[in-house]
Amino acid sequence: MALDLKLGRSGFPGAVAAAATLWALAGGMVLLAVVLINFFSVIGGVVWKPFPGDFELTEIGVAVAAFSFLPYTQITGANVTADIFTARASPRTIAAFTCLAALIAVLFAGFLTWRMYFGLLDQKAYNYTSAILQIPLWWGFVPILISLVLLALAAIVTFLENTRIFAGT
Amino acid sequence: QEFTFKLHQPLSANASAQVNMLEPWAKAVEENSGGRVKIEIFPSMTLGGRPPELIQQVRDGVVDLIWTVNGYTPGLFPRSEAFELPTVYKNDPVATNLAMHDMFESDLKEDYKGVEVMFLHVHAGQALQMRDKEVRSPGDTAGTKLRIPTRTGAWVIESLGAAPTAMPVPELPTALQKGVVDGALIPWEIIPPLKIQDQTEYQIELNNQERFGNTTFQVAMNQARWDSLPDDIKQAFRDASNRDWWAKVGEIWRKADDDGLKIAVDSGNTYIALSEEETETFRQAMAPVVDRWIEEVSDSGIDGAGLVEKARGLIAENAGAQ
Amino acid sequence: MTDPITLGVIALIVLVALIAIRIPIAYAMILVGGIGVTMMDGPALMLSQLKTLAYGQFSIYDLSVVPMFVLMGALASRAGLSRALFRAANAWLGRMPGGTAMASIASCAGFGAVCGSSLATAVTMGRVALPELSRYKYSGALATGSLAAGGVLGILIPPSVVLIVYAVIVEASIVDMFAAALLPGILAVILFLLTIAIYVAINPKAGPAHGGVEPGEFREATIGVIPVLLIFGIVLGGIYAGLYTPTPAAAIGVVMVWLYGAVTRQIRIGELIESLKETASTTGMIYLILLGAEMMKIFMSRAGLPQATAEWIINSGHAPMTVMILLLVGLIALGCLMDSLSMILLVIPFFWPVLSELNGGIYQAADGAAFGMSTEDLKIWFGIIALIVVELGLITPPVGMNVFVISALAKDVPMSDTFKGVMPFFLAELVRVVLILLFPALTLWLPMLVRG
Ligand code: NA
Ligand code: NA
Repeated sequence: MALDLKLGRSGFPGAVAAAATLWALAGGMVLLAVVLINFFSVIGGVVWKPFPGDFELTEIGVAVAAFSFLPYTQITGANVTADIFTARASPRTIAAFTCLAALIAVLFAGFLTWRMYFGLLDQKAYNYTSAILQIPLWWGFVPILISLVLLALAAIVTFLENTRIFAGT
Repeated sequence: QEFTFKLHQPLSANASAQVNMLEPWAKAVEENSGGRVKIEIFPSMTLGGRPPELIQQVRDGVVDLIWTVNGYTPGLFPRSEAFELPTVYKNDPVATNLAMHDMFESDLKEDYKGVEVMFLHVHAGQALQMRDKEVRSPGDTAGTKLRIPTRTGAWVIESLGAAPTAMPVPELPTALQKGVVDGALIPWEIIPPLKIQDQTEYQIELNNQERFGNTTFQVAMNQARWDSLPDDIKQAFRDASNRDWWAKVGEIWRKADDDGLKIAVDSGNTYIALSEEETETFRQAMAPVVDRWIEEVSDSGIDGAGLVEKARGLIAENAGAQ
Repeated sequence: MTDPITLGVIALIVLVALIAIRIPIAYAMILVGGIGVTMMDGPALMLSQLKTLAYGQFSIYDLSVVPMFVLMGALASRAGLSRALFRAANAWLGRMPGGTAMASIASCAGFGAVCGSSLATAVTMGRVALPELSRYKYSGALATGSLAAGGVLGILIPPSVVLIVYAVIVEASIVDMFAAALLPGILAVILFLLTIAIYVAINPKAGPAHGGVEPGEFREATIGVIPVLLIFGIVLGGIYAGLYTPTPAAAIGVVMVWLYGAVTRQIRIGELIESLKETASTTGMIYLILLGAEMMKIFMSRAGLPQATAEWIINSGHAPMTVMILLLVGLIALGCLMDSLSMILLVIPFFWPVLSELNGGIYQAADGAAFGMSTEDLKIWFGIIALIVVELGLITPPVGMNVFVISALAKDVPMSDTFKGVMPFFLAELVRVVLILLFPALTLWLPMLVRG
């Protein structure tokens, strides 16, 4: 159970769930790397001197990790909703609302992928870099775009699953 | 009004930059236009995004005007960075602003693609504000941890044998108070808003108000918006941003800086102006920073040595211009 | 075209409607913010801003502590810390009437000191404490009520995710906010313990005293809690003492909890993966809300709504304290609709400028200030009060997330019993809000001490 990557799904939904889970775990590794950088920077600061790039590596690393978590958040239905007004609604009604929510997520993920692709081109064209290590910031945008494509796929899965509930099959 | 502009800036509405610089400038433009222009100032990033996004916002026309710190996006304004170098910027914000003005068309303009620059400026220069360590020679900074102001500021800190440390500005007072950092390279002007006088004992600058480098700022308009304006409106902006105004901005920042130092001195802090001999040892220690910068920008085909020389010459020429 | 203010108000109504039909709050904000700006200023604006907006929000340095504290909490709930805490607390308090319920509160407080979330604290401690409470024949209402209320300590005692987000919005120092939250957090523990004492005095059957534990068990349990105290001391103590800033402190916390779990053989690769997954879904949820709130903020600022609201309230001529109390009541009402994080993100950008302006501007010193304290102190004080108020929503009907999760764990106790059991704690919370309003020093003394 602990390593259930597909989250109980099969076929296309299963593949997307597995990809979202693995991608989130990869992001988790990035987060752990950021944790270790900060940990050793503090130790370094006490015994010798801090590592001057820790600040910007934290910013970039956490951003990359956070984007990689979005598909997993979507596929596990972890986004916060207020359920109070629909507490007595039928499962069908709720499925319809969830479909609408998933549709918004698909559109938004697609839209953001498109826009952030141009964001990447800007970062590259104007040569945005971090201050000390001078890491080109567009590097971070590459995994982020993959995260957003996965988010769109995850939302499509949510949408399809709920249309099925709505249709009563 | 026929023409309204949104000016987006990162600091609060009460910050000296807004009250003493942006508001008077906006008012001058409005008056010059005979009331046809209205400039709305949005402080504290209220129109969204983080400070490094400001330059992109104005390029894309998300906002019409911005005031931003060039160093928020390191590497985007390589030519202007010459004025941030120690020993290039020495002690005179007025002369430095005028030098930037005089070099703008010929040398700096290429940095500002996609925007129409209204004016550029510097502050009064990075001073050394130390928690409890008196500094009189580069040997005294060796082994300390100092908060960095800009990327070349980080090089300055390295050249003094100290460890550059990055942190968000709101954490600086606590970090100073607790000794997470031993000091910061930062102008006096920051003393009142952050109450730096409470967390430091020493305010240190070089001889004759010379500093450890600087930071450049810009007020710029979206290019398409600018191009769409009729000539008389453009003239209203131009007149408010003329050569005298660039000089005036230098005075405004000098005054804010002096006011900051006064607060520290009044609260019993020790103000140290190093002697010429002591200053010379710092200049020698920081000299490699200029060489490093020249070498780095030359990789992207910029004549760094030429810029440094010209900047030094024009700053000297404009000295005492006010 | 309608005027911007009307458009802004309509947008808020649409936002509420979308949230009511179960659109995730983050997406509701993204949609309304994005469409609102587009209707007002054309499509080019959002098209351009979205190129970098999300990256800008996700890379805010100060927020990097959030995923780290989430990870630390996720590891802590698997590392056996919760069991060690409860065992020690029960060894100390268990023999008193209501003592095991008190031990639940105390161990929730201890767990709250390593975990930044209320729900995680309620669930983690609930798993450990509910079976014990049931074994000692505690009433379902007291047992589940204590844990639902105790969970709130997860967020009231630093570290706290909501507090970090508040600090980022109002540009306060996270260190100051963590220092400010500590005494009110301890006060909550004391009041909760008193609540249990009174509860069992009135209704002795609800929390029968039992024989306590063997002296050997007593010593072992007490020793077992030392690592937890050590972790808390190093992480928060280090922040308060100023050895490091919050982000490295959180990193140290993650490493220490991980090591503790590895040494006690509670965290192996499977648990690490589960912790990372939990961190992923929680962090993804939080960051998406951050993005949504930023898009709402852009729209609202462009429509001029916060400015208009501030002007309207300031010109209304109400006494500052009246305004403060009205704002707090508004927060409680919103608590029926939104989670605490969304609420803080959506509402504080409206509320804070009003209070700051009423007080005399952001540089106002204590002398002559409308609230009798400098605006910098007001920022801290209001943050703590707002935090308590938004967290009250976790234990009150109709939503009461803590009550839901505890009910889910205690299947034999009806949810109405849990709500009944939590009521006395809700009253204790009201007492606490009043105390903190009356005595600002409770909040402001420690940050002052930390700042030196
Ligand atoms: Na906590
Ligand atoms: Na509620």
